[in-house]
Amino acid sequence: MFERNKKEDHSESQDFGSSEPEKTFGANRKSKPRKSDGLATIGRSIQISGDLRGDEDLRIEGDVSGTVELRNNALTIGKEGMVHADVYARSIAVDGETRGDLYATERVSVHVNARVQGNIISPRVSIEEGAHFKGSIEMDQAAVEKVLGKPAPENKAKPEAAKAAAQKSAKESSSNLNPPAGTA
Amino acid sequence: MTVSLRRAHTEDLHDTPQALHAPLFQNVLDKLEPSERSVLLDLGAASTDMLALFSESRCCVEIADVAHFGGCELLNSAEPGPILVEIAETLLPERVTHDPVDIVFCWDLPNYLTLPALKALMQAIGQRSREGAVAHALVYYAERNMPTLPGRFVPTEDGKLENHALPGELVTAPRYSPEELTDHMGGFAIDRARLLSNGMQEFLFRY
Repeated sequence: MFERNKKEDHSESQDFGSSEPEKTFGANRKSKPRKSDGLATIGRSIQISGDLRGDEDLRIEGDVSGTVELRNNALTIGKEGMVHADVYARSIAVDGETRGDLYATERVSVHVNARVQGNIISPRVSIEEGAHFKGSIEMDQAAVEKVLGKPAPENKAKPEAAKAAAQKSAKESSSNLNPPAGTA
Repeated sequence: MTVSLRRAHTEDLHDTPQALHAPLFQNVLDKLEPSERSVLLDLGAASTDMLALFSESRCCVEIADVAHFGGCELLNSAEPGPILVEIAETLLPERVTHDPVDIVFCWDLPNYLTLPALKALMQAIGQRSREGAVAHALVYYAERNMPTLPGRFVPTEDGKLENHALPGELVTAPRYSPEELTDHMGGFAIDRARLLSNGMQEFLFRY
């Protein structure tokens, strides 16, 4: 169903960084965003109706209706892409047309000549001059967090667990430095 | 009354973006409390500059882009009456929350609507606005002609407004009087008005 774009052409996906192959392919698949050896692309002749889920970055040039969930990854809707769906992703870049709400935990970028109808819920939103947008943009951080959840940077996601781990680590370090009496 | 679209033969009004000193627009921005949540309804096109302006506030920005999505033609050609308000409602964005609208940015859109169409649109907006909400608008008053399409107004860093409308042919402006506006703003009453340097009248309406 998906075309693999094996070419090293990152010119149109530059918003989301490089697509370097992940060294630990397959490991921690549930918890870490996966980067494939090429950007997965739904070609312009492909039509998908239903729920679309995945763990890798995706480019849509075809027609997709239903729901799109790439919660840990980047989605690019290309110039030929038409998405009639609510979209959940880490970041969303639109060059084509969308109808539906766009939820992104990091950023939504609406590029020139894109047509977007729906609401945008994301902490960072940019709309280029020449893009056409109709909908609501939630810019209230509290409201965004209510919908998307609080951002969870490393070491801050679970402060109690991190604190406990740090204490345990300190204890172990301490015990290594001070071996029990009588063992010397 | 209908909006005349007769071609004019004067030189272009907007060869270069005009930086307008718009004190009432500035007044609206000054009253935005960064710590208070506000719902803004923008009837014009989305602009990064406008979003940047509100990025530090607790805002929800609703963008209708009425002109681009065919709203003017739809409203101007429909029969006046309750159905017109229903049509106007479809031109407004679907809502994320049900918080009432606090501020409406009409820009120069009223010039491109017939009076019944303007009334219907503002009635639809009034239905989602809180009491005391304000609406800002720019109306061609001293200037007889206006661009064929509504402008694209962008705030500048020094608090002015630039019209980024593409240069082109001009049409006759309806030059609505304050009395006509009072009767056709769907419950929004004139609060303040200023004549700007480019011959436009800047209005602040209150619901």
